[in-house]
Amino acid sequence: MSAAIDRSAIEAFVFAEARLLDERRFREWMALYTEDGAYWVPAAADQTTPFGQASLFYDDLELMRTRIDRLEHPLIHVQTPPSRTVHVVGNIEVEAVSAGPTPELPASDMLVHSSFVMVEYRLDQQRMFAGRQRHWLRDVEGALRIVRKRVDLVNSEAAFEAIAVPF
Amino acid sequence: MPDGSLNSRGIEALVEPGRVHRRVYTDPEIFELEMERLFGRAWLFVGHATQVPKPGDFITTDLGRQPVLMTRHHDGSVRVVLNRCTHRGVKLVAERQGNRPRLVCLYHGWTFDPDGTLLRVPVDEGCAPGFRLCDFNLAKAPRIGVYRGFVFASLSPTGIAFDDWIAPMRENIDDIVDRAPGGEIALDAGMHRYIFRGNWKMQTENLVDSYHVPFSHASTVNRKGVQFSRREGDDEGAKVVDGQRTASQWKQRRSYAVGYGHGWTSNTELNESGRSSAVYDEYRHALISSVGAERAEKILTPRMHNSLLYPNASFMGLNMHIRVIKPLAVDLTEVNIYPVRLIGAPEAMNARNTRLLNVTHAAASFVQSDDLEAFGRAQTGLRSRQTEWVDISRGLGREEPVDAPESIATAAGTPPTVMRAMATDELVVRGQFRAWLDYMRVA
Repeated sequence: MSAAIDRSAIEAFVFAEARLLDERRFREWMALYTEDGAYWVPAAADQTTPFGQASLFYDDLELMRTRIDRLEHPLIHVQTPPSRTVHVVGNIEVEAVSAGPTPELPASDMLVHSSFVMVEYRLDQQRMFAGRQRHWLRDVEGALRIVRKRVDLVNSEAAFEAIAVPF
Repeated sequence: MPDGSLNSRGIEALVEPGRVHRRVYTDPEIFELEMERLFGRAWLFVGHATQVPKPGDFITTDLGRQPVLMTRHHDGSVRVVLNRCTHRGVKLVAERQGNRPRLVCLYHGWTFDPDGTLLRVPVDEGCAPGFRLCDFNLAKAPRIGVYRGFVFASLSPTGIAFDDWIAPMRENIDDIVDRAPGGEIALDAGMHRYIFRGNWKMQTENLVDSYHVPFSHASTVNRKGVQFSRREGDDEGAKVVDGQRTASQWKQRRSYAVGYGHGWTSNTELNESGRSSAVYDEYRHALISSVGAERAEKILTPRMHNSLLYPNASFMGLNMHIRVIKPLAVDLTEVNIYPVRLIGAPEAMNARNTRLLNVTHAAASFVQSDDLEAFGRAQTGLRSRQTEWVDISRGLGREEPVDAPESIATAAGTPPTVMRAMATDELVVRGQFRAWLDYMRVA
């Protein structure tokens, strides 16, 4: 871990990421990811792989771009009107990454554990998501970037109403 | 105008050739009747044998609103039993899936075999005089039918024979299963689940509706007018729109109705010969080794897009999955989607299908989410009493009979007529309501 990136910088990064989502600044959110980055929300607890198993989200940068194009499209019915969300992120723990890169998880410098609650409001309905999230981060010339964000919802196997925005 | 009573004449008055009364989607009494007369009688998809590979394996699901277990018995056979202890009515198994050589009720410890046989009860000296274990076996689904590992059950001892019911749709199932080099698929790649605040029929209608795609899914269509590159080795895909209008290729698609409420939509013709990638070529080679070049070519030219086995299952060939529709209330429906794994195909090919399915049919997908918005808003709009009727008349009178496939002709019973229309027509929706009436008007 770079000496320049201390714990408070990591916390600030995770909080800022959540704020970009809450402010629907999706392009800026995507820019936090490395070129080989991915955003993953498994559809089952303890799911070991996004490949060959159903997931709620498994977006590499290309899919993320398509998703954001759609979020900005005037005819995205499920976001007309758009959701409003608020994230609360806490319980942040930082650990050094000891395992080497694998085909499923490229190289990273640190693993950040946190818990979150996201409340979403749209069309008179309010609902709540909660879960644990893990950010595998890489120090790219002094700036933190996301190699992998894995979100494990406490109810990952549940039957959900339509979900349009990332957690 | 329907007078409101739900005798057989009242029910028949709800369905006209080109329109249905809004009550079929909104009336809780009609929903209760559907659970009894339609879901309580029809052949319903339960699961696939690969979900319970070993003795003692089980999955839990619901047929209509009735909880059932599909198990693998000690003798290797697949059973469908009601998930309800015969003592005090407790649901025996709560988990979605697992393995238990014996099913023990949590309440008083009554213990059953996977085929439902009651083996023992604690404190048996306290049982009533004349108590016999064999009188308290788990209730079984009265009828079970299996085709290529797909297990269906009927909760009624009488009704359409399974062979007659499945015959018109066997080719649609083959269309997917034959793509596996060994001719076998597995449902072991997890499950998508979504729920919507709408009537279950909105989902069965939408499955065979090619009319909505360019409009409902406008936000997923790229500059070339294509939704996504949907298949391994094919970066082009089916053109949906041309500028702001529905593409002529899309309009050429057809829909088919074959009785019993079944129906399907055909694919846009795609460039099969140009389809290639390292993974796809490896797969094609495996299939040719297994079935020969001529047969492989036929299998690899998909003809069907989405096929509905009325009333609770659909099979999609494009991004391969099985979908199960579970009505929960008149205005609440759950849907489960199983990715299909082709046994013997390259792992990367199956992984590609699973990833595509995340994008198209997960609750967080690009496509299904807009359909769910449409279903919810339809349910809200149908509260309006100023417009009593829902129009399903597109293409009415334009449908034409076509030659029945061989598989239908060889089935027992009278082969149903196969009707064809444009896929943007509502032929298959009308077919669903004809079947709906057949179930619903009989007390």
